[in-house]
Amino acid sequence: MTVQMIFLAFFGGAAVWFGVVVFRTHSMVRSALALLFSQTAIGAMFLVMQAEFLGVLQIMMMATEMSVMAIFMVMFMMDPGGMGKMDMTHQKRLSLWAGGIGLLAALLLVWLPDWGPVALSVPGAHEQAADLGRELLGRSMFIFQSAGLTILTAMIAATMVAIVPNAEQGK
Amino acid sequence: MIVELLIALSVGAGLFGVGLYGALSQTNLVMIVMGVELILAAALVNLVAFWRYLHPDEPAGQMFVLIVMAVMAVEMAVAFGIAIARFRVRGSVEMEEARELKG
Repeated sequence: MTVQMIFLAFFGGAAVWFGVVVFRTHSMVRSALALLFSQTAIGAMFLVMQAEFLGVLQIMMMATEMSVMAIFMVMFMMDPGGMGKMDMTHQKRLSLWAGGIGLLAALLLVWLPDWGPVALSVPGAHEQAADLGRELLGRSMFIFQSAGLTILTAMIAATMVAIVPNAEQGK
Repeated sequence: MIVELLIALSVGAGLFGVGLYGALSQTNLVMIVMGVELILAAALVNLVAFWRYLHPDEPAGQMFVLIVMAVMAVEMAVAFGIAIARFRVRGSVEMEEARELKG
């Protein structure tokens, strides 16, 4: 058993466990924090898998994203602290079955195929970042630019949807 | 090394199952978004695992991760825009009260 295997299992277990906590707790703020910890554990998994740039990016991006989500939780929830122990679930049995079947199907897909030879080493962090930069500004430039344009469009769309209708009509 | 790949992919499967349960079972829009985030996180874990253990010399694998991260950001921005609009009109983002959207 290698050190990488131990850390991967530890952070992977933490990611799944905090993912479960997101839907188990009554407090919405705790849910947002649990999702933050889950995403951070995933970032740590990336670091263990020697994808340094993506690991740091994941942790930084998700810390910001989940903080915003926690603010929205407090704004929109009827009981953000979970003191009233409100049940905010529906079709529980169907959801459990769907989640369970999805999990089993994914596990079968993971464990049954022969994945072939596995790479033992990866390029260094500096080389990875340089290769990724060349990829993004070379062969995959169109896809990369499309993603940027999509984010810009989504930002404009989200702002327009959220604008007060009266202000929009100049009343 | 194959064990590490299987561990990472199994974690992805676990996140997918939990996210699917959350997206289907929650009645609040923000909680549903959390479930979808977990499903996308599962895709991220799988992509990084495939890059690391099967094609470490191919930077396109990392590029796919960046695209999925962009999708996560877009999904959250649009969902929160809809949540704000819904909250203004109905005073709630409970999806049980949004049955009129069925048409």
